[in-house]
Amino acid sequence: MTNLMGYSIVSMILFSIGTIGVISRRNIFIIYMSIELMLNGINLFLVTFARYHFNMDGQILAMMTIAIAAAEAAIFLSVIILLFRTKKSLDTNIFNKLSKETK
Amino acid sequence: MISDIIFIGLSFFAIAGALTMIFHTIPIYSALGLLISVLSIAGLFALLSATFMFMVQIIVYAGAIMTIILFILMFLNIKEENLPKEPKKNLYIIVGFILILPINYLIIKSISLLPDSNMNIVQENFGGIKEFGIKLYQEWLIPFELISILLLVALIGAVVLAKQRTIKKIKND
Amino acid sequence: MMTNTSYLLWIILVPIIGALLNTLFYFYNIKINKIPQVIFSLIGTITPFISFILTLKLFFILFNDGINNNIILEQNLFKWLEVDSLDINMALLGDKLSIFMAMFITFVGWLIHIYAIGYMHKDEGFGKFFAYFNLFLASMLILVLANNPIIMFIGWEGVGVCSYLLISFYYTKEENVIAGNKAFIVNRIGDFGLILGMVTLFFGIYETSFTFIDMEKNLIIGSVEIVTVSAFLLFIGAMGKSAQIPLHVWLPDAMAGPTPISALIHAATMVTAGVYMVARFHFLYSYVENVGIFIAYIGALSALFAAIIATKQTDIKKILAYSTMSQLGYMFIAVGLGFYNWALFHVFTHAFFKAMLFMGAGGIIIALHHEQNIFKIAQNRKKLPIISATFLIGVIAISGIPPFSGFFSKDAILTAAFAKEEYLIWSIAMITAFLTAFYMFRLYFILFIAPNNNKDKKYVYTSKTITIPLIILAIGSIFAGFLNVPAILGGSFYIDVWLKQLNSSSIHLSHLTEYILIFSSVTISILGIYIAYKKYARYDVYNLENENGIIGNKFYIDEIYDYIFVKSIKKASRFISNIIDNKIIDNSLMSLSYGFVNVSKKIITIKNSHVRYYTLYMLTGISIISLYLCIKLLGK
Repeated sequence: MTNLMGYSIVSMILFSIGTIGVISRRNIFIIYMSIELMLNGINLFLVTFARYHFNMDGQILAMMTIAIAAAEAAIFLSVIILLFRTKKSLDTNIFNKLSKETK
Repeated sequence: MISDIIFIGLSFFAIAGALTMIFHTIPIYSALGLLISVLSIAGLFALLSATFMFMVQIIVYAGAIMTIILFILMFLNIKEENLPKEPKKNLYIIVGFILILPINYLIIKSISLLPDSNMNIVQENFGGIKEFGIKLYQEWLIPFELISILLLVALIGAVVLAKQRTIKKIKND
Repeated sequence: MMTNTSYLLWIILVPIIGALLNTLFYFYNIKINKIPQVIFSLIGTITPFISFILTLKLFFILFNDGINNNIILEQNLFKWLEVDSLDINMALLGDKLSIFMAMFITFVGWLIHIYAIGYMHKDEGFGKFFAYFNLFLASMLILVLANNPIIMFIGWEGVGVCSYLLISFYYTKEENVIAGNKAFIVNRIGDFGLILGMVTLFFGIYETSFTFIDMEKNLIIGSVEIVTVSAFLLFIGAMGKSAQIPLHVWLPDAMAGPTPISALIHAATMVTAGVYMVARFHFLYSYVENVGIFIAYIGALSALFAAIIATKQTDIKKILAYSTMSQLGYMFIAVGLGFYNWALFHVFTHAFFKAMLFMGAGGIIIALHHEQNIFKIAQNRKKLPIISATFLIGVIAISGIPPFSGFFSKDAILTAAFAKEEYLIWSIAMITAFLTAFYMFRLYFILFIAPNNNKDKKYVYTSKTITIPLIILAIGSIFAGFLNVPAILGGSFYIDVWLKQLNSSSIHLSHLTEYILIFSSVTISILGIYIAYKKYARYDVYNLENENGIIGNKFYIDEIYDYIFVKSIKKASRFISNIIDNKIIDNSLMSLSYGFVNVSKKIITIKNSHVRYYTLYMLTGISIISLYLCIKLLGK
C-alpha cells in the first residue's frame, strides 16, 4: 500500500473533496477551508514524488506552498471580516454586483 | 507491514476529516474536521521520510492557520440567521462528484504507467532539516526571498483590510 | 384567301382613343374646371360612328368580292407570346362572321350612344359614363374581331369589366354595387370554365398555331374525348356570359345600372358574346354533337324558366331582362342543334327590337322620374306617342308576328328544332313562345292601354336624342327580318348565304310541314296575345300585383345559391381567418420568437455574478478535456 499508487489515490481523493466543497457549498468559510484542503492534497502529491524520485525539490516546493497558504489565510480572513461587517451574512450568493440581473 | 497499517489509518482519518468538512453546516465542526485532516496529512508526510515537512505542517498549518480560522469563527459571533440556507447542497455534491471523476481517472491512470519503486522510510540524508536547508539556500534562494516579500505584503494587506474605517457621514441639508 | 388590311385595327382603336380622351377630360372636369357636356357627348358618339363607317367599308370589300369567294381580311399586329411551342400573335380577323357581328354592334352601339346623351343628361358622371361606354365598345369589338381564342378572351374579360363598371355606375347606392359584384363574380365562374376549355383545346388540337382557322384544319388530330371536354368547358363560359341556367342569377340584378347599359350590354351585345363564341367554334360543336344537344336543352330550359318568371314581374326592366334571357335560350337552341346561321340571325334581329324596347322603357322611366313599377307608370299612350308606338312595334316583333323581324328568326329556330327531331325542345320552345307573347303584351297593355287616372303625373319632356334612335331601331325591327326570308316564302336567305362558312345544318322537311309549323307558331303567339288582352286590357292598375309565390320569387334560386355557396364560403373564410390564421399560424410564429427569447434568457443566466458558478463551469470544462484525453491518449 505504501507505494506510489496509494499516495496518489489519497492525494487525488483529498483534492477532489476540496473541489467538490468549493463548488457545492455557499458558506464562505467552508469554501475557504476547501481551498486549503486542495492545497494540502497537492502538497501530499509533491512530497510523494519527492520521495519517489529521491529529490528534495518537491519538498521545497511544498514548503513554498505552505508559505503562500499562510499569506492567503491572512488576506482571506480579513476580507471575510470585511464582508461580514457590511452584509451580516455568510452567504456567497448575495454578492452579485458583478452582473446586471435581466428581468 | 506496519507502515501499511499506519498508512491506511492516517489516510482514513484524512479522508474522513475532509468529508466532515464539506458536509456539515455549522462552520466550527467543519473547521475541526479540517484540523483532523491536516494532522493526518502531517503524519503521511512523516511516512514519506519528509520529517521537516511533518514539523512545518503541524506548526504552520495546524498551529497557525487552523488556529486563526477558529479564532475568526468565534470572533464573528455567528448566529443561526447568518448562516446561508443551502437547499441543494447534496445535489451539487453529487454533480461535482460526477464531474471530478474523469480528472481523477486520467491522473491515476497516467501515474499507474510509471514504474514502481521503493518508498520505504529512509533514515538519513533525505527529508531532514540539513538537506532541506542546503537545497533551499543553494538552489531555491531567489524563490525563498520572494516568498518572504510575499509574506510581508500579506501582512500589510491584512492590516490595511481589517482596519476600522472611519465612516464619513454626508449630511444632506 | 387572306388579305391584309389595316382598317381592322382602327375599328378597335378609335373607341379606345375616345375612352381615353373622355377619361382625361373627365379628370379635368372634376379637378380643375367644368367642361360642357357637349364635348363628352361629341367624343362619345363620333367614335362609334367612325367604327361603323370603317366596318361598312370592310363589309363592302367583302361584299364586292362576291359571295362565293372566301376572302378573309386579316391584320397581324405583333407577336405577343412565344412560350416553348405556343405561339400567339396579336392579330385581328375580319371574316364574314366577324364583320357581320361588328356591323350591328357598331350600329346599335352608335344609336344607343346618341340615346344616352339624352338619358344621362342630368347625371354628374356624364363624362365617365361615355368613357366606360366607349371602352365597352372597344372590348366587344376585340372579342368579335379576334384571331385566336386568347385575344377573344381579352375582349371577353374586357366586356365583363366594363359591365361591372357600368352596372355599379350609381355607386352611391349599395345595392347597385352588390349587383355589379354579383355580375362580375358569376361571370368569373363562367370564365373559369372558358379558360379550362381553352387549355384542353390547346392540349388537344394545337399543331401549328392557335388561331381559329388553323384549329379548324387541325381538328382531326384531337381525340373525341378531349374535344368533347373542351367544348363542354367552353360552353360553361358562354353560360356565364349569356345568362343561361345555372349562371343566370346576375342578369336581373344587372338592371340596377342605367338603362342605356341595359340596352346595349344586356340586350344587344355582351350577352350575345356567348352565342358568338359557340358559332366561332362551330367546327368543335359540329364534331361532337352530344355537347350540342346538351347546349340546346340548357337553352330551352332557360327560355322556359325565364318566361315563367317574367309573367309575374312588376319591374319593367326586370321583365325585359327575363325576356332577354329567354331569347338567348332560343339562340342557344339554335347553336346547339347546329344551326349557327339562324342563331346569329336571331341575334341580329333581337338586337334591334330588344334595344328598342329597353330604350323605350328608359324613356318612360325618365319621363316619370325614375319610377320602375309598371303599375305605377301606366298611362295613356297619347301622352308619349313615339315611345308607345315603338314599344308596340317591339312587342309585336318579339312575339313573332309576321311580317316583323322576330317572326322570321324565331320561326326559323322552331322549324329547326322540329326538323332535327328534337320534339321535346320544340314543344318547350312553343310553350315559351306562348308565354313570351303573353307577358310582353301584358307589359304593353298595362303600360299603355289599361284605363288609369294618371293624368296628374308630371311629365319630363323627352328630347329628340331619345326618340330618334327609337325610330331608327323601329325601322330596323320591322325590316331586318327580310334579310333572311326562307325559300318557301319566296325569299333568298341572304344571311344564310353570307354565313356559309359555318357549315350549318340544313333542314329537310316537306313544304307542307314547314307551312304547318309556321302556322302553328303564329297561332300560339296570337293565343298568347289574346289571353293577355282578356286579362289586362281592362285591368285596374291600382290593383298592384305583388311578387309572391314561387314564381314571383324567381323560384328562390337566389336564396338557394346564397345558402349553398355564399354562406358556406363565408363560414370557411371566417374559420380560416379566425382559427387558422390567428391561432395556429400566429401562435406558431409568435411562439417561435418567444421561445427564442426565453431560451436566450435561460442561457444568459450562465453569466451571473456568482463566482461559484464560474468554478463549476471551469470544473466542467476540465472534466470534459480530461475525458477527451482519457479516451484519446490512454486508448481506452
